[in-house]
Amino acid sequence: MTTRPNPHLDIDNYDADADLMALNMGPQHPSTHGVMRIKLFLDGEVIIKAVPYPGYLHRGVEKLCEKLTFVQIFPIVDKHDYVAPMTNEQAMAVAFERTLGIEVPRRARYLRTILAELTRISSHLLWLGTFTLDIGGTIGGGASMMMYTFRERELILDCFEMLTGSRFHYNTHCVGGNRHEIPDGWVAVVKSIVATMKLRVPEYEQLCTGNEIFNMRSQGVGVISRDLALELGLSGPNLRASGVDHDLRRDQPFHAYDEVDVQVAVAQGGDCFARYQVRIAEFYESIRIVESLIDNIPEGPLSSQRPVKSTLAVKVKTGCHYHGIETPRGELGTYIIGGGDNKSASPYRLKIVPPSLHAMSALPYALVGHTVSDVVAILGSLDPIMGEVDR
Amino acid sequence: MNELLSALAAAFPDFIDAETPDPSGPMVPASQHIAFATFLKERGFTRDVTVVGSHWPAADEDSVGEYEVGTVLRQPQPGSFPFMWRVRIAMTDTVPTLFPLFAGADLQEREQFDLVGVQFGDHPDLRRLMLPEDWEGHPLHKDYAIDTPHAPWR
Repeated sequence: MTTRPNPHLDIDNYDADADLMALNMGPQHPSTHGVMRIKLFLDGEVIIKAVPYPGYLHRGVEKLCEKLTFVQIFPIVDKHDYVAPMTNEQAMAVAFERTLGIEVPRRARYLRTILAELTRISSHLLWLGTFTLDIGGTIGGGASMMMYTFRERELILDCFEMLTGSRFHYNTHCVGGNRHEIPDGWVAVVKSIVATMKLRVPEYEQLCTGNEIFNMRSQGVGVISRDLALELGLSGPNLRASGVDHDLRRDQPFHAYDEVDVQVAVAQGGDCFARYQVRIAEFYESIRIVESLIDNIPEGPLSSQRPVKSTLAVKVKTGCHYHGIETPRGELGTYIIGGGDNKSASPYRLKIVPPSLHAMSALPYALVGHTVSDVVAILGSLDPIMGEVDR
Repeated sequence: MNELLSALAAAFPDFIDAETPDPSGPMVPASQHIAFATFLKERGFTRDVTVVGSHWPAADEDSVGEYEVGTVLRQPQPGSFPFMWRVRIAMTDTVPTLFPLFAGADLQEREQFDLVGVQFGDHPDLRRLMLPEDWEGHPLHKDYAIDTPHAPWR
């Protein structure tokens, strides 16, 4: 049994002389990254208990999936993590392919890896922009950084539009491969993005790491210890910022990651600054991975399956299956119980395991003892996306 | 994986079969749920991945139907793989909570209680997570149709 703070503090029996106040933060607070509410119990200005209330974006996707067939599920998973939609589809595709033992051609695996890394860059760009805006740590009170990161994110979304025809809801993955062939000139566009990012990331770092306000507001704030991070089930940059050297890209490779040498970025602090350090290091790592793959995309087919003519083409007959991949936020898993409606072409039960929900469950531990002004810094650094938490 | 299975078979000979493992994960009695999780946590499965409930309606009118609770843990190290096991209970019974072992089980189990209806015994704060507090029914029940009437807004 471990010793950890109690998130279910009994407020009624708390110190009777204390200056207690309950404060609802959200659901429409600009820094809640979607719509969520945190009920803060304050003693003076210090938080003694924090209770998250998600559910404002609940759309019942898991119930919908029980009626849709496996082929029909792909378009709706784009809407979960709306900051990095590409990796949602990939998590679904990898889960179905591993469950059914379907091979993916090498060309599609390379393309998926490049798309995943570009998505990681674009997701971390949005995170960096909003995080610095939340804590006001860069020149111009933080808003200038947001302009810079959105300028670069636009390049990546344009490049996805060139490949798939849409900027957000791509529907480009299917069971067995990818749908959209690489257009002429796309490789050159990706190379120019990578070259731009190589120049920009050191600029971001200079703006933030060298800034005294940024350092004071992020260092030592919201510390999550190594053991607690594991117990909470944190994954991705949040887990690595607490000193755990764990990344599914290296530890259980998917796509073409077994052909790349992934250097996992780890920081020891466990605070907001460590989470920032890990994400900045992941910028460089993603740039390196894209650079090493973009010139070597093999020729060949993009899909190992014939084009689907029936929605009943993919069937999981029996059993429970869990498969997860590393998305920009951490391990996005899919738990499938086969043998559902439509002659097993629908899942009996499909659970999407979102990394953001685990990040949310860290809030009652990370917020206690800090002041109200630190809430946005801690929430921002954990990077939960509410569309993914609520589903 | 094989080493782990033989260690599990030695510790829990009643329900672990190392010779022919079930690919869906072993079925564990609810009374052994905590002991099983503790055993795995001590062997490196320190990261809580998820808790998944599912509803299995009764085949006839005499029984009440069952809940199945799947739990997935993972080792945070190279070569890691997810390990999962399942607990089956009658709909009137409870599953012991994993909250004392894994802090992340708090919200995970609340979500499964909310959507599926599984009762987790000794959970410190078993409330609805996604749906409003006065919602009726559990949407992921197999007999809960998508068009089940309810107050649509508030």
